[in-house]
Amino acid sequence: MDIYLQQLPQQLINGLTLGGVYALIAIGYSMVYGILGMLNFAHGEVYMIGGFAGWWVLHLLTRNNEVLFSAAMVIALMIIIAMAVSALVGVIAERFAYRPLRNAPRMNLLLSALGVSIFLQNIVLTYQGAKVRFFHISALIPESLRIIEIGPIVFSFMRALVIAITFLLMGLLTVMIKRTKVGKAMRATAQDLEAASFMGVDVNRMIVLVFLIGSALGGAAGTLVGLLFTQVDYYVGFQAGLKGFTAAVLGGIGNIYGAMLGGILLGLAEALAVTFLPSAYKDVVAFVILIVVLIVRPWGLVGEKMPEKV
Amino acid sequence: MTDRIHTVVMNHSNATSLRYPKRLAVYAVIAAIMIIAPHIMPNSYWLRIYTMTGLWVMLALGLNVVAGFAGLLDLAYVAFFGMGGYTFALLSSSHMNIHLPFILVLPLAAFFTMVIGIALGLTSIRLKGDYLAIVTLAFAQIFKLLLLNLDTPVNITGGVNGIYGFDPINLLGFKILSPIAYAYLIWLFTIAVTIGSFRIKRSRFGRGWEAIREDELAAEAIGVNTTWMKLMAFAGGAFIAGAAGALFASFQDSVFPNNFDFPQLVIVYCMVILGGLGNITGVILGAVFLSILPEFLREYGAYRMMSYGLILIVLMALRPQGIMGEVGFLVKKKVRPDKDQSDRLKASTELYYDEDAKTRETTESRPQYSKSTIAILELKHVTMDFGGIKAVDDLNLALHEREILSIIGPNGAGKTTLFNLISGIYPPSFGSIYFEGKAITGLKPHQVVKAGIARTFQNLRLFNKMSVLDNAKVGQFCRTAAGPLSILFHLPLHKKEERQTDLKAKEILHLFGGRLTGYRFDQQAMFLSYANRRRMEIARALSTESKILLLDEPSAGMNPQETIEITAFIKTLRDVFGYTILLIEHKLNVVRTISDRVIVLNDGIKIAEGSYEEVACSEQVIEAYLGRKKQQIG
Repeated sequence: MDIYLQQLPQQLINGLTLGGVYALIAIGYSMVYGILGMLNFAHGEVYMIGGFAGWWVLHLLTRNNEVLFSAAMVIALMIIIAMAVSALVGVIAERFAYRPLRNAPRMNLLLSALGVSIFLQNIVLTYQGAKVRFFHISALIPESLRIIEIGPIVFSFMRALVIAITFLLMGLLTVMIKRTKVGKAMRATAQDLEAASFMGVDVNRMIVLVFLIGSALGGAAGTLVGLLFTQVDYYVGFQAGLKGFTAAVLGGIGNIYGAMLGGILLGLAEALAVTFLPSAYKDVVAFVILIVVLIVRPWGLVGEKMPEKV
Repeated sequence: MTDRIHTVVMNHSNATSLRYPKRLAVYAVIAAIMIIAPHIMPNSYWLRIYTMTGLWVMLALGLNVVAGFAGLLDLAYVAFFGMGGYTFALLSSSHMNIHLPFILVLPLAAFFTMVIGIALGLTSIRLKGDYLAIVTLAFAQIFKLLLLNLDTPVNITGGVNGIYGFDPINLLGFKILSPIAYAYLIWLFTIAVTIGSFRIKRSRFGRGWEAIREDELAAEAIGVNTTWMKLMAFAGGAFIAGAAGALFASFQDSVFPNNFDFPQLVIVYCMVILGGLGNITGVILGAVFLSILPEFLREYGAYRMMSYGLILIVLMALRPQGIMGEVGFLVKKKVRPDKDQSDRLKASTELYYDEDAKTRETTESRPQYSKSTIAILELKHVTMDFGGIKAVDDLNLALHEREILSIIGPNGAGKTTLFNLISGIYPPSFGSIYFEGKAITGLKPHQVVKAGIARTFQNLRLFNKMSVLDNAKVGQFCRTAAGPLSILFHLPLHKKEERQTDLKAKEILHLFGGRLTGYRFDQQAMFLSYANRRRMEIARALSTESKILLLDEPSAGMNPQETIEITAFIKTLRDVFGYTILLIEHKLNVVRTISDRVIVLNDGIKIAEGSYEEVACSEQVIEAYLGRKKQQIG
């Protein structure tokens, strides 16, 4: 038991890092679900493409294990380009795969999203191959800065950076939604699409914006995970997508703050599970949580239960 | 009237029987192809593809039961396929040193998978659409992770290396060894599954599933045991997938975790969707097409999965009903009895009065209505509390046999909530409901219908894509009992019930004059006019053979002429057919014409009760509708 207690703060840090990333992915699911009531199956792939975009930027800017600009600038570029590429992919998917089905049955939308997911995954497989791409972060951070020690807790500089960036992005999103006019329009559209359009909100623009923001955050998550675990391949989106969805459901799908909370809780749960179980079963833990939440409390931790209108 | 219906039924059964020569010829051609095909394959490679095609068709048909018929997005389907495969592998190889004969292992694999399918169904049955998809996807992931990791500490699944080297199949002395023997074996099962699919689709099960797919709540409220039917869909799909898995394992002589992974799931889904969800012929063609197509595009192998993704997106956007859906030459030519010789359309009302003349004489032979004082439905202190808002508050109500009782009240008075309470959609927060002296409080909607109370919906919840006749037939679901075996083997019970259902449904549709009969039998409910859809709602409720009808604004949106007609019809239902009727209605002239008694609700409380004239003079009622008089406020 003692050894577990010693590991606890360490695992909490790990959980928080992972949880922040899950939260970023979960926000994308939740925003789209909130506004269209659809499950964007392809969101995991958008995340994966973000990871590849980040890798590609780093790859281009590295010569002989040296980055061309300052490390901070390279990391910023990686994240911004990843966000831009992912946002573009998300918006294109919305335009061609989801918008034509706006009034179709939900099942058709879900299947179309499944199609987008398979398409994106295989387009990356075709042009990038199945091999794992490595992030050479040794070029980014000098040896001396790589490990930070605070008392008994040891963690890498990257972890601190990832936590900082995820929370920064979540903070920006919160401000945008709560304080700006666009945020208000977005919330109105999520509440009632038709009523919002009667009040002069350009609903199509709001939907595009939701896909743009959600996908951009997913792309950022992809690159952050790449920086953290230093690798990406064409298949990572599938698992990450499921985790993000789990997080969104855990918090209450459709609710952005729920997605943040759910992501962090899921990350912590996984980190703690690894302490007690073989790491191969880490994913099993997440899926069991998902199934239990969906069965016991499908409206999530902070979501509201809606009685079915007859 | 009865005679006429009988002739209709006889014609119908002739058309579907084997005596029909065209149909017999089609069967003969299919049989001939099945016998010859394995022998004319150019080489062993193509023979293998032929056999695999059979497996894919079988898999697609199994998925078609869950996703097509019942509309459940089951993404664990591929895990069931794997479960069948691994069950076979474990029970018929040296891996665990268990060597059971194939004739035992195949049913075992199928039944074991079915049990798991039912278990998954039980845990996730309350979830809808997307949620169900995700839970089942998570389940499939757990299954795959277990396959990959259960090689330590005890080697059960063989991990990545899988299990291989199985006992040869020995079927009652016939050894299945050669590829040709496998081709016959697998296609034999495929044909069996195909026949089973066709039979189940044209049964109470098929109609029940379709109703659930169209509108789950309406299906439940019209007497379909939705929970049970969804479990049956899971069970059926898992059973077929399990059997296919066992056959596949034996055919490949090995099983690996990546035989049962996401790509396979996607391929089966593409097959089913390409063919059209629920369309059996389409699904078979879709499966054959997508099994053979990749062989012609081998040099473009890398694009194969990519194109599957594109197929899904494009089909969903352009042809969600699949390639086979509503293709011109496949659709039955429709007779238009509403056209006269000169091809001029006859008006609907003309038709109505034509029909009415024929049916009128029969109505007089029925027992006449006599008023009764026996309370058939009793509500005692019924309260519905929506988190502090009492939609119905301490309501007592007695409905007498063969009475027409109207409930009126301003919007939001709790009228529809009252219907939802009686029909079991909401369980009351407090109080109890008795039907014929027995408590029905807390029963599920379909149980309430079975007990004898049917309802219609204010905002029309027909099964839009089902035919008029099938809509009416769904009502008979709770009056029939044929199980899957009875349906699959066409046992006498199923045949008898189908005849009765058909007869009953047609009899009820004939009650509406020509409005819902003739060519309209085969018309999809969504193409009916608004007034006809209202009539269809009532017809559907009538076909449940209930004693009490709860009619929620039956004349809403109807023009004055139609309103008069429907009012007379409701009266006939009571006077001639002896129904007891509870009616919500806003049109007060309707209420005045037909009600024996009227109850006025306001804010969930009964504020007046009595004859229309009594109620209309009540101070409280006037106040609820028009507000207080000026001096009273001041």
